[in-house]
Order: sequence, then C-alpha cells, then structure tokens
Amino acid sequence: MSAADDTQLLERLLAGEQKAYKELVGTYQSAMRAVAYAIVGQRHADEVVQDAWLSVVRNLAGFQGRSSLKTWLLTITANSAKSRYKQNRREVLLDDLPSPHGTIGDERFSSADGHWLVAPFAWHADTPEALLTEAELRECLEHTLLSLSELQGSVLTLRERQGLELEEICNLLDISLSNVRVLLHRARLKIFATVEHFEETGQC
Amino acid sequence: MLTCKEQVARSSDYLDGQLSFRQRLIQRHHLLFCPNCRRFLRQMRLMQATLRKMPEAPVADIDALAERLAAERKRNA
Repeated sequence: MSAADDTQLLERLLAGEQKAYKELVGTYQSAMRAVAYAIVGQRHADEVVQDAWLSVVRNLAGFQGRSSLKTWLLTITANSAKSRYKQNRREVLLDDLPSPHGTIGDERFSSADGHWLVAPFAWHADTPEALLTEAELRECLEHTLLSLSELQGSVLTLRERQGLELEEICNLLDISLSNVRVLLHRARLKIFATVEHFEETGQC
Repeated sequence: MLTCKEQVARSSDYLDGQLSFRQRLIQRHHLLFCPNCRRFLRQMRLMQATLRKMPEAPVADIDALAERLAAERKRNA
C-alpha cells in the first residue's frame, strides 16, 4: 500500500468504519501473525495478534505516518510478543529440522572440485502460475513450509510472501543480519528441493 | 574461481543484494560460464516468485474481529 492509501484508510479507521477494519485485518494479519509466530511460537501467536490489534486500535490516533502503516503494525506486534513473553524468549535456533525432501546439500557436489555431481533438474514449468496449477505441488509446498522451524518459516514468509527487507526482519525479531541470512538461505534450499523433487517425480 | 558449491552457498546473498561489488562480479563471472548454476539460480527466482503467489489462508472470523475493533475504536474516540 502507498502512503496515500495508508492515509485514506487511516481516516476511515479513525471514524470507526467497520469495513475499513475488515480491510486492515485482511491485508495485514498474515504478516502480523508471522512476526508473532517467530517470537513466541505457534502456541501463543494468536493471543499476541489479538493483543496487538487492540493496541493498534487504542493507539491509532497517535500514528504519525513516519513509517508505513505496515511497519507500524508489525512493530506493535513484535512489541506485544516481546513484552508478553519475554521470559520464554527462546534462543535463535539455527539448527535445521529435517525437511520432507531434504535440501541442496553437500552430497550434490564433488568433494574434489566443488562442481555439481547431480546437476539441478530442469523444471517443466517456467512461471509461478504454471507451478501453482498443480494442486498436489501446492499441498506439497505447504507441507514443507510447515516442516520449517517457527523462526525459519517466519523469516521466509516475511521475506518472500510479505516482501520485507532483511533489515526490517532483523529489527522486528531482534536477530542479527547474519542469522537472518542463514535462516533464509536454508529455508529456500529446502523449498527448492521440494519443487525439484516434485518436478522430477510428479509426486510429493 | 568460484566453485558451483560456493555459488550455491552465496546464492541467497546474491539474490538479496547482500554481496559486495567484488563478490557480485565473481558470482556473475561463474554464472557466465556455468549453465547448471544459471539454471539453479533461475529456478531459485522462480521458487521465490511462486512463494509470493501462493494463496494465503483467509483470516477466520474476520467480520467478528472487524466489528470488535470498530467498536473498540468508537469507545476510545
């Protein structure tokens, strides 16, 4: 959304227009949930998002438009998550959970010269639309996304689906840039391996 | 000269603009001569675009939540 859209929506929100709240929730709740999920985990993510919404409404008049509405909402969500669950804050977990179709690991490369031993399989589809017409692949991707750790899955969602910059992710989740880079890369390779497996075998 | 394995290891940083100018050149140089790595990177981009286009689960009870938030705003106004 542009700044002008933000301003227009804000006026309607301040007026208490229910349809405007529906738009707001529909547009931003997924991103908010991903932030909450990363910080407090699945068990408490919904509560945190609820808290954040109330806090958003109570502070709406104070929104100055210095940041985008999205950034403001995500900051409030991150703060709700951190204040409510500070004591349970987990360590940044870089350990990798196993993924249904593995990853693009060392075994794909020659240990002698680092060249591909098993070259990347050429996918049949060459657009996202073509890939997503396969219902089974969509399910397969959802399955792999769910296999990622809460933090890894959230970082991937915030970057790829919500389009956040790496620095924004660092600030919201209080993790270092190098950790964000590692989490993101490992997550992408797992998703890549899933698509490759599907394109090669036609099965999940 | 970068190996394919190293190219893959740096591919996310390349896509996210996290490499220095020099590192980018090294990466591009490798890609110029390596069809396998070009295919890998093209498919990484396709995978990213696919994730972006995946439908999101709709918010459950969106009308009830919107109603509650609008009411809360009117109470606070």
